[in-house]
Amino acid sequence: MAPHVTRREALGGAAAALVLASCGGGDPPPATGPRPGSGIALLGSLLALERASFAAYGACLDVLSGHARQQVHAIRAQERGHASRLGRVIEELGGTPPPGRSRVEYRRTFPRLRTPEDALRFVEDLEERQVRAYLEAVTDFPALELRLEAAGICADEGNHLATVRVLQGLPPAQGPFVTGAL
Amino acid sequence: MAGRSDAELLNDLVSRERRLVSAYEAALRRDAIEASLGETLLAHERAHVAALERTLAGRGDPVASVPSPELTAALRHRRSFALYAKQLEDELVYMYADRVPRIRDPKLRQPLGSIMICDASHVVALKQSMGNRFLVN
Repeated sequence: MAPHVTRREALGGAAAALVLASCGGGDPPPATGPRPGSGIALLGSLLALERASFAAYGACLDVLSGHARQQVHAIRAQERGHASRLGRVIEELGGTPPPGRSRVEYRRTFPRLRTPEDALRFVEDLEERQVRAYLEAVTDFPALELRLEAAGICADEGNHLATVRVLQGLPPAQGPFVTGAL
Repeated sequence: MAGRSDAELLNDLVSRERRLVSAYEAALRRDAIEASLGETLLAHERAHVAALERTLAGRGDPVASVPSPELTAALRHRRSFALYAKQLEDELVYMYADRVPRIRDPKLRQPLGSIMICDASHVVALKQSMGNRFLVN
């Protein structure tokens, strides 16, 4: 018998695939020039993920309306701000931000979002992955300044995650420790 | 901020978490927050305090938290308490975003960041409790 896969699992799997595609083989190398160990490769991965999220929120706007659409629009604008900020940091470190993909290329990697529920589940999974990526960056970045950048953006992603949960009728707070306890 | 020990940075965080525990306990006693929401937020804050205290054990002397004079006034109405708690939670999120990257022990940064994300969700919960339709910061 074929294994049963729920719609939520399918959308989550799509989000995972999108993250892998954003941070892995499909995109050009993040940058050239700066010294190894500067954190620039990790910045490039975070930038790719932000750009994918910006595109994903854009796809969600197609099926959302009213209050949810307004909120998602605001989140999308913040994701664009994060991407701009990460690009500037890469340049300040002497690198070149990766060029990114076209909207069509991103959308090719997305699941079909037929309903508002599909869209919000998809971006909830993406937000969870963004939160984990930024928390890993706070652990791994060698320079304090980069860790501060990552933590600041991560706090915004926490707000986004809670907001998309509320839009689905879920409690904003998932539990006392979202990605792992002390 | 430079040169502060992990214990000092953790004490900043646990002091503020304790203020929130006291605030939610008082709000529940005075019916200044809807019970289900208050109990959830209180349980989270207690878990944060317990985890931070465990981490702090053996790393320095604990710092007592000081009761806030603004709390008494905030407890008069649910809306004023929600505004008060939201401000505390907001400040705590910023405090985590500032302190966690400075923690020298890298193994602590991710779980501390996990608490920050929970506190960010509390801000959204409190906005929602006040009827704010716009939840994005």
